[in-house]
Amino acid sequence: MTFIELYALLPLICLAATPVAALAAIAVSRDHAVVTLVTLIGLGLSFFGLCAVRPLVPMQITPLVVMDGYTLFFVGLILITTAAVALLSYQYLERREGHPEEYYPLLLFAALGACVVAASNHFASFFVGLETLGVSLYALIAYQRAAPRGIEAGIKYLILAATADAILLFGMALIYAKSGSLEFSETATSLAGDYSGLEMAGLALLVSGIAFKLSLVPFHMWTPDVYEGAPAPITGFISTVSKGAVFALLLRYFGEVPAQDFSSVAFCFSAIALASMLAGNLLALLQDNVKRMLAYSSIAHLGYLLVAFLAQRELAVTAVAYYFVAYFLSILGAFGVVGILSGSEGEAEDIKDYQGLIWRRPWIGAVFVTMLLSLAGIPLTAGFVGKFYVLWAGVDSSLWMLVLVLIGTSVIGLFYYLRLIAAMFGSPEAPREELRGRRAGFEAAAAVLGVLTILVIWLGVYPSPLIELIRRSAALSGF
Amino acid sequence: MFDLVWLIPLFPLIGFFLNAVFGREWPEKVNGWVGSLSVGASFVVACLILKELLAVDPASRSVEKVVYTWMVSGNLNVPVGFLMDPLGMVMMMVVSGVGFIIHVYSIGYMHGEVGYRRYFCYLNLFVFSMLILVSANNFLLMFVGWEGVGLCSYLLIGYYYEKKSAADAGKKAFVVNRVGDFGFMLGMFLLFVTFGTFNYTEIFAAAPKQLVQGGILVTGITLLLFVGATGKSAQIPLYTWLPDAMEGPTPVSALIHAATMVTAGVYMVARCSILFAMAPISLYTVAVIGGATALYAATIGVTQFDIKRVLAYSTISQLGYMFMACGVGAFASGIFHLMTHAFFKALLFMAAGSVMHAMAGELDMRKMGGLRRQLPWTHWTYIFGTLAIAGIFPFAGFFSKDEILFYAFEKHLGFWIWGAVAAIVTSFYMFRSVFMTFWGESRVDAHTAHHLHESPPIMVAPLVVLAVLSLVGGLVGIPIIPHWHVFGDFLAPVFAPAKSIIDAGAHGGHHSLALELGLMGISLGIAVVGFFLARWMYITNPSAPDEVIKEFKGLHTLVYNKYWIDELYDFLFVNSIVRFSRFLWKYFDDAVIDGIVNGLAALVREWGSGLRRFQTGLIRDYALSVLLGVLAVIGYLVFR
Repeated sequence: MTFIELYALLPLICLAATPVAALAAIAVSRDHAVVTLVTLIGLGLSFFGLCAVRPLVPMQITPLVVMDGYTLFFVGLILITTAAVALLSYQYLERREGHPEEYYPLLLFAALGACVVAASNHFASFFVGLETLGVSLYALIAYQRAAPRGIEAGIKYLILAATADAILLFGMALIYAKSGSLEFSETATSLAGDYSGLEMAGLALLVSGIAFKLSLVPFHMWTPDVYEGAPAPITGFISTVSKGAVFALLLRYFGEVPAQDFSSVAFCFSAIALASMLAGNLLALLQDNVKRMLAYSSIAHLGYLLVAFLAQRELAVTAVAYYFVAYFLSILGAFGVVGILSGSEGEAEDIKDYQGLIWRRPWIGAVFVTMLLSLAGIPLTAGFVGKFYVLWAGVDSSLWMLVLVLIGTSVIGLFYYLRLIAAMFGSPEAPREELRGRRAGFEAAAAVLGVLTILVIWLGVYPSPLIELIRRSAALSGF
Repeated sequence: MFDLVWLIPLFPLIGFFLNAVFGREWPEKVNGWVGSLSVGASFVVACLILKELLAVDPASRSVEKVVYTWMVSGNLNVPVGFLMDPLGMVMMMVVSGVGFIIHVYSIGYMHGEVGYRRYFCYLNLFVFSMLILVSANNFLLMFVGWEGVGLCSYLLIGYYYEKKSAADAGKKAFVVNRVGDFGFMLGMFLLFVTFGTFNYTEIFAAAPKQLVQGGILVTGITLLLFVGATGKSAQIPLYTWLPDAMEGPTPVSALIHAATMVTAGVYMVARCSILFAMAPISLYTVAVIGGATALYAATIGVTQFDIKRVLAYSTISQLGYMFMACGVGAFASGIFHLMTHAFFKALLFMAAGSVMHAMAGELDMRKMGGLRRQLPWTHWTYIFGTLAIAGIFPFAGFFSKDEILFYAFEKHLGFWIWGAVAAIVTSFYMFRSVFMTFWGESRVDAHTAHHLHESPPIMVAPLVVLAVLSLVGGLVGIPIIPHWHVFGDFLAPVFAPAKSIIDAGAHGGHHSLALELGLMGISLGIAVVGFFLARWMYITNPSAPDEVIKEFKGLHTLVYNKYWIDELYDFLFVNSIVRFSRFLWKYFDDAVIDGIVNGLAALVREWGSGLRRFQTGLIRDYALSVLLGVLAVIGYLVFR
């Protein structure tokens, strides 16, 4: 490894050093604010590193990691999201029992794992990244030791994710057995053309494992339980960063190994997408629990993304990347609101907690309405533009069946988002709340929500700059 | 001035922001005037642009102005752009002009209501969306407005959220509209796939070359678009939401559910006139649905006692006229009627609102009567509106309705008879409402009678303005004399391509002057007949209605209950599906049935509950699901 290669890894190195620094800071003195500050500085430095290495890309660094425009884009997204989650977590943890400090190193480790996944083009780095992400998540989900549901969710995720990892590993092994390599590109060349039973089995296991991480039907069962049990900011983190990183990998792997061009593999993905869109939206209709509702809706959103994934290459990348940004912003904002409304006992997750919210807490209510409208894909929000690109990608590749179901299920989807919005506009059960005893960090969380809201509307009204960024990033990579 | 077209939708948006962000501390009056003046400013800009457009040579009166590129990728380019052509300008003028008048009226009407500021916020947001809808230069931007007005309508119908009926009505409107939107979206994407663009000008220029005249594709596209139009414009079979939408505040009914939003469907069909002209089957469908709705809704109007419901069914019926006009190829007449209808229907609704204001919210005409003494202004303006809608010379409705009937006659005698019968009925139920409300003996109870008062000037002034417009609004479209049909000549370039296609297929001879005058006389006679019939039943012979009802008891019950269509829909889409699904899923809990407003929702919920059964919370079940999934994928990929 040359120096320049090491330098190109700067963002990842910064990110890896930050949790160490944070742990050192905790060892010196337990101070919530200091740890948060260290976290944010670390994230900022690695983001700065991202900008610094931009002229060097694309560059393959050892067989394991590739730094190209595509990696930079997703790593940037992950870093920003992690910073937002950290800021949203601060006030959430302030209100709760126990030590909040170790939360941040765990969050940083998870982000590091996600970045490695997004940057990997080798099975080894992929798996190492995935495990770093996963192990940190187990702890984060169960971080509230006093809350039985958190522990339950953590255990569930641990067992099921371990199962999925085993499936994934076995799939890699089968592919390795045939191709003799763990590099994505080499497995592609050796697999080219001839797909015998062995690779097909390997591919099937790989697809299943990835579908589990993306909580696609029928591998989605863990999602509502884990979403419900985890602390609200962590739920936001799972549904954005962890899924975004894995989806980035999916896009990269099947960019190298165009197996989805085979009708049978494409059929499998289509079936999974259809099932996810339908089941996600239908199940969300019945939920009175907001976190579970958002869990099911995220299943549906991943189904939409799969439609774009199946489209023609260049469009797929643009559509997926844009949709992810819109989805990241909106879902993060939604869980941010849930987190901000949560008291020290339990969380604001029942739909009744949102009754008349717009009159009690007008600003928070307005933010939540914006986020829900964006998730529903109403025009002038980022979600609409994202959905439009996904639809367009599908139409352009003549995926008619999927497009029809996408439009149809979006219509269904509106019902439950609107149900929640209607509840918020309903008559309040309590009078307008004066924000008594503002808790520390409230301003930070409110500022994050404000920025997210502005971005959601801005990207819905004027999406061109982001599209331009995505295209330039795509041009700097192999796509 | 053309460069400033973006100001037209921007002003109401600014009004919305001012009221939403800073309005909390302001007194009520300021909220109201900020909202109103922002719409007024749009109207001024629209007037200036119209003036400039009129200076341009008629053939080239179509100016596009792109503000910025909204979405771009590959060969796709969707700008935020505006189209200023005669059709768009008429719509912008009507929306901002009538919108402004209704805003001013609202300042008085909503006085003292809870959520005054919220009301003006929604209303401004609505006007913004509606202006986007009519000024866009491409389908996608039109869709933005299309969705926006739907959302605002939903919010405004459910304005009195503490009333359950209001909340349900809002939901119903939303659900029914979504069915329509589904058709619209599909039609839009089919257009995009065919032409590779959303831009009107490009699509309409390419359409005659790329599409087969009367082919399946163009028929499919136009029928899908028309499904969208029936949802938004409350036509058979998607009209049931509009009468329920009267749960909102009355100015909202005037603005959204009479003058502007519900005409979006007509506007869209007129905008796509060239596509419809190429699909005779679609055109025929539009005419038949429009004609059927016109008569059908009018008959229901005869039996209703709720004054706002009478007007609601009347709106559905008049929208049917507009569609019939489009369907027989007289797009300009449809738009002409759209404009005059905006004047007199807004007037009628606001006058009804003034009655409500005086009667402490009472809507039942059986409890009114003799109000002309206490409410002279309201009475006279309501009469003006009635004369206009009934089609009495020289009121606005006479010209526009007569023109539609004339073109219907040219197309087919059946359409004319259909429309003429609907006109008699219209005249009858409108005069009935006048007589029941304002004339005859007072049936007002003593307590209310004590408080009867004319509305304040801020409400009366808008009524007077609209009454004048209802009187003179039709004079821009004087038939027979060449070049006196200013309105038709103004719109002619927009519809010229469609007209040439339709004319090419028709064996059109020139009509005689006598025929035109004769038809005009007949339609005037029709209106007068309706007047005398109503007068005989409700003034001369007050016991007549009861006798008629007794005589035709079965028929009356059928019509009074709106042909039981709501119940039929409930039966078809809610009950039967629920029962069928219950049978299928009978071992699931039935808690999911609560709060079902709509059959689709019911069906969907039942499916959901079936799926939910698998969500047990047990890890072993989840793992089993993963395992089955893996086996399915392997099984398919390896052993296929």
